[in-house]
Amino acid sequence: MNTKKKTIDTHTDNDKSEIRMKTQSLSVFYNNEQALFDVSLDIYNNRVTALIGPSGCGKSTFMRCLNRMNDYVEGCRITGKVRLDGFNIYKDNVDTILLRQKVGMVFQKPNPFPKSIFENVAYGPKIHKLTSNKDELEALVVKSLKRVGLWEEVADRLSSPGTSLSGGQQQRLCIARAIATEPEVILMDEPCSALDPIATARIEELIAELEQRYTIVIITHSMQQAERVSDQTAFFHMGKIIESGNTEKIFNDPDNQKTKDYIGGKFG
Amino acid sequence: MIKPFERRRRITVQRIKKKKSPFIYKSYSKKPKHTWLKKRKAAERRFRNAGLISILIAALFLVSLVFNIVSSGYSAFTGTQIKLSITFQTDLVENDAYRKIIQNALLDVFPDVKTRKEKRALFVLTSRNAVYELRDLVAQDPELIGTKKDIWLPAASAVSIFYKQRLLEESQRIGKINGDQAKWITLLAQSQRMKVKFNMPFFQNGDSREAEQAGIFASTVGSFFTILVCIMLAFPLGVATAIYLEEFAPKNWITSVIEININNLAAVPSIIFGLLGLSIYLNFFGMPRSSSLVGGMVLALLILPVIVISTRNALQAVPQSIRDAAIALGATPTQVVFHHTLIYALPGVMTGVILGVARAFGETAPLLMIGMVAFIADAPKNFTDPATTLPIQVYLWANNPELGFVEKTAAAIMVLLGFMILINLLAVYVRKRYEIKW
Repeated sequence: MNTKKKTIDTHTDNDKSEIRMKTQSLSVFYNNEQALFDVSLDIYNNRVTALIGPSGCGKSTFMRCLNRMNDYVEGCRITGKVRLDGFNIYKDNVDTILLRQKVGMVFQKPNPFPKSIFENVAYGPKIHKLTSNKDELEALVVKSLKRVGLWEEVADRLSSPGTSLSGGQQQRLCIARAIATEPEVILMDEPCSALDPIATARIEELIAELEQRYTIVIITHSMQQAERVSDQTAFFHMGKIIESGNTEKIFNDPDNQKTKDYIGGKFG
Repeated sequence: MIKPFERRRRITVQRIKKKKSPFIYKSYSKKPKHTWLKKRKAAERRFRNAGLISILIAALFLVSLVFNIVSSGYSAFTGTQIKLSITFQTDLVENDAYRKIIQNALLDVFPDVKTRKEKRALFVLTSRNAVYELRDLVAQDPELIGTKKDIWLPAASAVSIFYKQRLLEESQRIGKINGDQAKWITLLAQSQRMKVKFNMPFFQNGDSREAEQAGIFASTVGSFFTILVCIMLAFPLGVATAIYLEEFAPKNWITSVIEININNLAAVPSIIFGLLGLSIYLNFFGMPRSSSLVGGMVLALLILPVIVISTRNALQAVPQSIRDAAIALGATPTQVVFHHTLIYALPGVMTGVILGVARAFGETAPLLMIGMVAFIADAPKNFTDPATTLPIQVYLWANNPELGFVEKTAAAIMVLLGFMILINLLAVYVRKRYEIKW
């Protein structure tokens, strides 16, 4: 209980050199097939960490370990440690519900609930009982929508269904929904892959803004995007991290030949 | 000089035309270049025509069925009445001899009827239930005693059918009316003593030995009681089973055995469920025979697999991404189901339940086994009263050779089909109105 409390209610300082999340020799098995091999990665506070690599290399599997989404995958087994602020989130006494409040997630395809825009954003705070009355809830919803720059666009139609928005707006709504639970880390699984270039640019701007407040992990297939938005980059291949470090270093002067080939577009 | 020039011009025009429309199927040369295209289009047309023909055949069957039912059943919605001048003689009323009163009134109209045989033929013109109507009248208004009054009394069903068919050709008439009776009915009609009225008893009464008094009220009430029990049991059980199997159950051999069995149950002949109900509910638990409670429980068994399968399909149609979104926000699996998956699947679930209910509504065989095939004159007042249902009423009447019951059977089928159409329309409405498109 004590550990859990500490895991959840920790600092808000913006020390960029501090490690927020950390995986230690993380291995994932689907039934008898190993998907991740001894992955160790540091995720720094208030920075954007990009995960790149060819399809099926284990990026999504890795990301879904960070908020224990893999718990619901049939036959999935995990060894190793994932630490959030130094506490292993795979310990038995960790409450996954509270964990997921602190580690939000945005998915590849915009997936708003077929409810009103307001309900979409208010759902997280409601189930976590973050607000004590209706006014507070409304204020939180407005704050979240403003933070993703959606407020001006939807202020007059909060009761219309979230699915009626355009693709880019839907994805921003999903981000607003994720930040409404006041998380510390936001995981983004290819958030722009279903969007047009303009909506993508908007999301990228948003990521840059959100970086001030949240620690962000983003999976992307676009090298340019990874270069533009991220501070740290990890290159995955065949379930292993081939290389990780500063984005600039990875893109300009990678140590590994495979990384060079992938970034250069030779495979993947 | 002119000729070749003209010919050349013609050729150039042709060429231009050819170039302009390469996709229009038109052969300019005499050789059939596009035979393969022709063949393909012919195949296309053949297939479309085959579909059209099969639909037409199906429609023809449907129309002939509906026409057959309606033509033999529409007359049951009207009944015939005879006006008689009834003298409420004090001594006869006190002796409860209403039959005698009616007989006297009939003899007043036809004074030349003398022989026993003729009298017997005359006295069956009115329904046997006319006696009870008179008694009710007197009970309501005792001042009638000793007076004389014109009263409309229900005619016997054979009379009714004859009267309603009087406009038809002789050869098209059906029914058992002897010559004297036909003469009397014609006389009564000429003296404005017969009229056709909407047949209220058909909607107010239960079963009766007299065709003109038999109605569908009791069986309709029985049907609704049965369906109510059926829904109350099958809906929560079926939906809960489907949710557990779809959202919570681990995928192992036990759950797959359960799944296969549920799918097989949907194909079990319904009479087997009736036998099951007979041996378990009636013989083992000793529940009341031919009650709507047991009927509903048997029908619940019958439609349970239907509901489970349709609910599972509806749950499967909710995309995994929605579940992921809810889980990622920190919802527990139960919250995911009750806040999201089930809510979004509800239109599909409701459609399945309604269609299951429609099936239960028309089901006959299993109810025969638990004794709901009974002569029920009064509507059941609670779930343990002996009851029957609409399709069983149809079955009972269809077994009755009397002509009056033939039209009742058809009319009851019409009412049953009407309910079916209503239920199915409801299902369509729910699906169209609340369906979520992903």
